[in-house]
Amino acid sequence: MRAKQAMWTVAPLFATLAVAAVAQPARPDGGRIAVIHAKAYLTPGKDAVENATILIENGKVSASGANVTAPTGFRVIDAKGAIVTPGLMNSSSSLGLTEDEGAENTDSGVSSGPFGEAFDPESALNANSTVIPVVRGDGLTRAAVLPSNSAAPPFSGQATLLVLNDGQHILDKAHAAVVAKVGGMIVKSTGGSRAAAWMLLRTALDAAVQSGKPATASKAPLASFAGTTPDNLAALKPVLEGTIPLVIECSRESDLRQASKLVDEYKIHLIVVGAEEGWRVAPLLASRHISVVLDPFTDSPASFDQIGARLDNAAILDKAGVQVAFKASFVAVTFNAGIATREGAGIAVANGMPWNDALRAITSGVAAMWGIGDHYGTLEPGKDADLVIWDGDPLEPTTNPVLEMVQGKEVSLDNRQRMLERRYAPSQVSSPVPPEYRP
Amino acid sequence: MQMLEKIWGLASVVSACRKKSFAGSVLAVAVALMATVVAAQRAAPLPDPFPSTYKPLPRVDTLIEHATILDGAGHRLENASLLLRDGKVAALGSNVAASKGVKVIDAKGRWVTPGLIDVHSHIGDFPTPFTLEDENHSDVNEDSSPDTAQVWALHSITVQDPQWERERAGGVTTIQVLPGSSNLFGGRGVVLKNVPAVTAQEMEYPGAMPSLKMACGENPKDTYGDRNQFPVSLMGDVAGDRQDWADAEEYMRKWDAYNAKKDPSLPPPHRDLKMETLAAVLRGQILVVMHCYRGDEMAVQMDVAREFHYQITSFHHATEAYKIVPLLKKNHVCVAVWPDWWGFKREAYDGVPANAAFVDAEGGCVMLHSDAVVDGERLNLDAAIAMGAGRRAGVNIPPERAIEWLTLNPAKSLHLDDEIGSLAVGKHADVVLWSGNPFSVYTRADVVLLDGAVIYDRNDKARQAVTDFELGQPVLEEAR
Repeated sequence: MRAKQAMWTVAPLFATLAVAAVAQPARPDGGRIAVIHAKAYLTPGKDAVENATILIENGKVSASGANVTAPTGFRVIDAKGAIVTPGLMNSSSSLGLTEDEGAENTDSGVSSGPFGEAFDPESALNANSTVIPVVRGDGLTRAAVLPSNSAAPPFSGQATLLVLNDGQHILDKAHAAVVAKVGGMIVKSTGGSRAAAWMLLRTALDAAVQSGKPATASKAPLASFAGTTPDNLAALKPVLEGTIPLVIECSRESDLRQASKLVDEYKIHLIVVGAEEGWRVAPLLASRHISVVLDPFTDSPASFDQIGARLDNAAILDKAGVQVAFKASFVAVTFNAGIATREGAGIAVANGMPWNDALRAITSGVAAMWGIGDHYGTLEPGKDADLVIWDGDPLEPTTNPVLEMVQGKEVSLDNRQRMLERRYAPSQVSSPVPPEYRP
Repeated sequence: MQMLEKIWGLASVVSACRKKSFAGSVLAVAVALMATVVAAQRAAPLPDPFPSTYKPLPRVDTLIEHATILDGAGHRLENASLLLRDGKVAALGSNVAASKGVKVIDAKGRWVTPGLIDVHSHIGDFPTPFTLEDENHSDVNEDSSPDTAQVWALHSITVQDPQWERERAGGVTTIQVLPGSSNLFGGRGVVLKNVPAVTAQEMEYPGAMPSLKMACGENPKDTYGDRNQFPVSLMGDVAGDRQDWADAEEYMRKWDAYNAKKDPSLPPPHRDLKMETLAAVLRGQILVVMHCYRGDEMAVQMDVAREFHYQITSFHHATEAYKIVPLLKKNHVCVAVWPDWWGFKREAYDGVPANAAFVDAEGGCVMLHSDAVVDGERLNLDAAIAMGAGRRAGVNIPPERAIEWLTLNPAKSLHLDDEIGSLAVGKHADVVLWSGNPFSVYTRADVVLLDGAVIYDRNDKARQAVTDFELGQPVLEEAR
C-alpha cells in the first residue's frame, strides 16, 4: 500500500497520517535510516537542534546533530522541520498486565500466597495486549510497570520496565525496583495504622541487612511477617546494595519525611510515587536525591493524605533540583498512559515548569530515574533509536505522532481503536455493508 | 492508589444518563397522543419543596474588548468586544463602546467563551476528601435497591467540597450533579450555579428542570448480582426498567383519575415518592439522563422509552455512540462523552477518542462531560484531545465548533439554552476570559463570570474561594 520511494516526507501531515494509519511491514532498509530536517530534541533538557539529522544503524542512534549528513544507502525520512523527540516514557502503569481490569486478565497484584517483595509480575506480561498499541500511538515507547499489591504489605512487589516495540520481547528491565506503599486509604492492609507500615518496612530492611551477616552478628528481628521470608528478603538485597531503587508510593508530608529518613538510615536510592505534598519538602527530597513520580493533573484533596495537592508541585520540585517524572490517575494510569504522559507534562508547564524540563521528565530524566539512561532517553549516539516525529508540540493534546520508531524500527501507529474508527467513520454511514464485514 | 482508584471507579460507575431533547424535535418522535400530553403538561412545573435561594454575587457592568470570542453558537469573532450589563449579555461585536462606570478589560491576545457547563458531575455528593467510609456508604449511590427514583442528589450535597473551586478555575459556571449508576433508577439530579455557598439551595439554578438519573449495563447488574439480588443480568436490567415504568403508568392513572374528579372530600391515593418521580418523567416534567456505554444497549433503551412514552434527553458516557449516530439522531438523543476513557471495564472496551468528532460530523448532538473533577477542571483540554483525535481520523472540528460541546449543547440538554450556553444578547453573562486559545494545554482561565459577577480570578486571591474545610490546614500554607 505504501509507495516505496527512497524518500518520503511527513508533510503534508494528513497524507502521512493516512499512510501511517495502515499497518505496514517494516521497510527493508537494512536498519539504516536517516531522519533529516528535524527540529530535534536530541538531548532533552536542552533546546532543540534545528535542521538536525539523526542516523540510525542496528537499532541505535549512530550520529545526530546539525552537522551530520545522510550517507548513501540510508533510507531517508524528511521531517520537513517537524519536532522530533525521543520516545516518551510513563512511570506508573499496569501496561501488559491488564486488558480491561477484569480479574481474569489482570495480573498486577496478589492478595494471598507467599509473595511480598519478591512478587514479580514480569512473567505475566502480555505483549499482545491491545492497550500497548494504543499508548504507543500517543508516542509512548517505554513504561515502568508497578505492581499494585502483594501478600506482604506494605510491599507491592517488583517493578518492571517495558520497551513498547511491536514484537513479543517487550521487557526492557526486570527487577527494576522494589515497590511499597504507605497511606491512609490503604491503612487496613497493615492492621490499621500507617505507623505499622513504616515499622514493617524497617523490619524487612533490617532483616535483609542481617541476612547477609554471619549468624553470630545477627540480632533478633523486631518482628517477622510474610515480608521477612528468605525469598522476599533476597529481593531487597539489590536495594540495600544500591543497584536498584526502593519505590514508596505515598502522598502526605509526614510520610515523605519518613521516607527520606530511610535514605539516611539505609543509604538506599529512593523514588517516591505520588508525593502530592512533595512541594512542602522539596529541598529535603533534593538533598537526599529522592526522585518523584507525580500526577500533574491533581490539585484536589482526594484524600486526607493529599490535602496539600496543587498544580505547581512539579514546578516547585523541579526548581529545587528534584528529578520529576509523571503518572496519571484512574483511566489514564494505564489505558490512556500515552496521551496523559504528554498532556500531563504540558499541564506542568502551564503551572510553571520549564518546557525543556518537562520534556526531560518524560524522556531522559525518567530514564535516569529508573536506571535505563545508559540506553534510552536521548537521541545521542549509542542510544536506542526510540523517536517520534510529531505534527506539532508534543505536549499539546491536539498533537499527534506521525512517525514513530522503537529501537530503530518503525512501528505502526495503528491500533484497535483506530481500526474501529475506520470501520465506523462518518464516510461509512451510508454503506450497505454491515460494519463487521468492513476491514 | 489502588484503593483510590476503586473508589473512583465507583464514582465513574455511577455516571448516568440524562436525556436531552431539543425543543420540538422530541415531540416529533413521540407517539402523537402522548406528545400532546407531554407538551400540555411540560408547562406545569413540578412543585419544589426545596426551592432555589440563589442570588447573584455582587457585580459591575463590564466590557471585555480586543478579544477572540467564541460565542458558543458556532461563531468566532476576532478583535471583538463583549458588554455585560446587569448580569446579562448587552452587546457583542466590533463596535461596542463602554459607557461611563463600566469596568473595561483589555483582552488583547486572549480568548472569551461562554461559561462551561458540566452536565455530569458528582461534586458535592461524592465530596473530597474521599474516605474509607465511601467504599461502602458513599453519598453518591443509594444502592439499597435497584430503583431509588425517590432520592435527590441535592440532599447529598456537601457544599464545602473543594472540588467546586477546581471547576470554577477551569471555567465551569453550571454543573449538573447526578446520583451514581449503581441503580437502574438512581434518583433525581440537580442543576447548580457554581458559586461558593453555605447551603445547596443557594447553588440551585432557579427554574432548572430536575433530571432522573438512570443506568443501564454492568453497574446495576454487578451491584445487585454480587448480592444475588435482582437484577443479575442485562436482561434483568431492562426488565427492571420496564416493570417500574409500568407501575408508574398505573400510579399516574390513579392520580389522574383522582384529580379529574376534583372532589376534595375524596381521600387522595397513597403518595409514593418513587412512583411520583417516575410519573413526573412520564408527564414530561423531569428530564431523563441515562448512563450507558454500548450501542446495542442504548438502542434497547430508546425502544423502552418509546414503549412508555418518555424521552431520553441524553446518554452519558456513550463510549459506543459513534456506532449508532443515525439512531441517536432519529430519537433526538444527545450524548455526553469523555474524550478518551476506555478499557477500564468490559463495556468500555470499544471506546475511541474520535467518538465526539464522529458524532458531531454525522450531525448528532455531543457534549463532553467530566464525571471526575480531574476532567471537570479541564473540559477544554478534554475537547482538545477529541479535536486532535478527530483531525487524525479525518474530521476537522474548529474551535468555534468544539466549544459548543461544552456550552450550547449541554445548555440544550438541560433545556436552559434560552438562558445560557452562548453569548447572545439577553442571555446570562456567564463568561470565561482565557489567557489564550482554550484548546491549548498552556492556557488558563483568567477570569470567570457568572451572571455578570466574577466568581474566579486567577490573579486576585480575593476571588479564589477557600472552603471551610481547607481553612486553617497547615499543609496549605507556604513551606516553612
